[in-house]
Amino acid sequence: MLTLANLNLHYDKTAGANTRKKTGKKKRSTQVIFDLSLTINEGEKVAIIGPSGAGKSSLLHHIYQELTTRAALCSQRQGLVDNLSIYHNIFMGALARHHWLFNLVNLMRPFKQNLHDIAVLCQQLELDQPLTKKVDQLSGGQRQRVALARALYQQQDIFIGDEPFSALDPLMTSRLLNTVLAQHNSVIMVIHDRALAMSAFDRVIALDKGRLILDSQQQSIDQEQITALYQTSAIA
Amino acid sequence: MSQPKQLQPIPSLKNPQYALGYWQKVTLSIWLIALIILPFADIEIVNFDPFLELTRMANGLVTPDFFATEYLWQAIMQTVNFAIIGVCLGLVLGAPLALIYQHPLISSCCAFLRAIHEIFWALLFLQVFGLSPLTGILAISIPFAATFARVFHDIINQSSDSPLESIDSRADMISRFTYGKIAQVMPQLMSYTRYRFECALRSSAVLGFIGMPTLGFYMETAFRQGNYSEGAALLMIFIALIGTIRYWCPPKLLGVYLVIACVTLIDIPHIDSSLLVRFITHDILPPAIANAATLAEVQWSSLTAWFSALFLEQAVPGAIATITLALLALAATHFISLSAHMMASKHLWPAPLTWLGRFSLLIGRSVPEYILAFIFLMLLGPSMLPAIIALAIHNGCVIAYLVVKQSNAIAPQEMQISRLNQFNYHIMPTIYPSMMALMFYRFEIIVRETAVFGILGIMTLGFYIDSNFSEIRYSNALILIICTALLNVAIDIISRRLLKFEQTSQASC
Repeated sequence: MLTLANLNLHYDKTAGANTRKKTGKKKRSTQVIFDLSLTINEGEKVAIIGPSGAGKSSLLHHIYQELTTRAALCSQRQGLVDNLSIYHNIFMGALARHHWLFNLVNLMRPFKQNLHDIAVLCQQLELDQPLTKKVDQLSGGQRQRVALARALYQQQDIFIGDEPFSALDPLMTSRLLNTVLAQHNSVIMVIHDRALAMSAFDRVIALDKGRLILDSQQQSIDQEQITALYQTSAIA
Repeated sequence: MSQPKQLQPIPSLKNPQYALGYWQKVTLSIWLIALIILPFADIEIVNFDPFLELTRMANGLVTPDFFATEYLWQAIMQTVNFAIIGVCLGLVLGAPLALIYQHPLISSCCAFLRAIHEIFWALLFLQVFGLSPLTGILAISIPFAATFARVFHDIINQSSDSPLESIDSRADMISRFTYGKIAQVMPQLMSYTRYRFECALRSSAVLGFIGMPTLGFYMETAFRQGNYSEGAALLMIFIALIGTIRYWCPPKLLGVYLVIACVTLIDIPHIDSSLLVRFITHDILPPAIANAATLAEVQWSSLTAWFSALFLEQAVPGAIATITLALLALAATHFISLSAHMMASKHLWPAPLTWLGRFSLLIGRSVPEYILAFIFLMLLGPSMLPAIIALAIHNGCVIAYLVVKQSNAIAPQEMQISRLNQFNYHIMPTIYPSMMALMFYRFEIIVRETAVFGILGIMTLGFYIDSNFSEIRYSNALILIICTALLNVAIDIISRRLLKFEQTSQASC
């Protein structure tokens, strides 16, 4: 499905906060990924872990660029349109499935079928808010679930998520994670919860300072190694 | 620990230097420039007895006569009609241009069209269409379309790209753009359009000064004839009209109003196409070209002589006067914005006093500069002073209005300090940069208005343009209008280069 060989990434190449081309004055970029080689196969559920600043988001966005036609991205920066309702924000996932005229009419007057689909999806994600509510009135956890719903509504093969559950409680996280895993053939996800990564995913990859440190496919890894990873990083 | 400490002078820090901050430097330079050019400006009070006029005006103000104006209803109707149709046409023309505004050709064309004031457009169209509504509508919609193009483009550009990132990349352009971008900035676009509608009402009224049948026409007549009671009544009606836009023109009703406006528009007279042809092929051409039958016969020497005379005797002195006046007005605007903001800030006064302050801001920003200048001209006689006062009051109030909106949204510090200290140490430092940004943004508008004041008799570029129109030298007038536009564009470019701060598009008018 995807093979990366000796990948090197620089900060301004990622979809991080500094991507704006208008601030082109500072061409100085820092390298975030060093000589990374990785193969992900069809049907794999991969968790990416690592201390903050390890280059996880950069790697994830690069992977999304590679798989963009087949994957749905649930970015850390949600990208919700505050001025639109929950319904319309989730519907944005389906834009590619309809003609632009359909989309424009839907913007003014939602279609019944989509309304029904999205209501079901919201129920699944335990989002019990009226669909007409604007997303700027939602709490952090609710917003995150709207972003998640939009990614799910893209109905793609591959799900790429950048800490999509960071604002949710552990119980809800594991319920929603199961939904995501069930609805996608392949999943690549940056996840904060190390235990959950170990238990729910087929394969765990650990990054540190832009390098691939651990890969459960090549070596068996245990809790100790991962804890060590976080500790050395904290000291350094 | 609790020993009485004596401050030990640290040897290396005997005379700590405190360098001027950026905004201090900018503020000081504005005032320094104003002080330097002040001796060269013509600011004497010419009127022999301004107080006599002032008492008569005050008298009129307390005894407004709402029934003195014949055709009052029609005048209000036409003022609103021109504004509504002008804005709608401006939107239709300007909104698509906003999408391709990044093209240098489009943006420079728009900058040029924008730089020509509504009154100059009206003076041009007046020669072709006469006093037809077409003149008023086109005069408003052309510069407005150019402004819409620029501001909409800015607003769309400032919106975040992150929604686009999460939209499936296979979706078509139109869907991506409407959902990811337009939906995001729709409230800004709407509120800017509403604000421009207010501007259009002002412009529409001002067009009355050159003869269009709007409120300005009756206002000018009343003031010129000394019917101050009638003039005051018209002014009050006009301020009320602008102050209550949100009640009588909610966005939903705009379509209805547009239909009413089109129906009630006074008849568009038949346009004499031969007049149009003659105007374009003969009247606006320089005499040396217009009189020659073929290109070979053109006397180039007389053409250059004509142009250099026009340039040196009218364009240059007019431009110098325009810039002088604009710079003085900038300093005065700074003063008025500061004091007006102080007057209406809720951080300084109890609520009822701020209502009073905000009400005076409403009056200050509702009355067009042009009408203010006209009133002060009656009081003080023809010099730059009335223009400076008018520009300062109007622009100062607009800026203060926007800044008060921002500063009232600031949460007060959780600290036991007096209101005045709070204002000076928390509110002002927070708000000052955006106040200055707004002011420089309005400088473009000040220059534009300054040129127009010439029509009132102040020797700026507009004065020469107006006299050329009345002497039926259209070619001269056209050249001077182009000079004015180029001056505006140049000032705009220079000020943008000098001061690079974030564009706050809501303020442009």
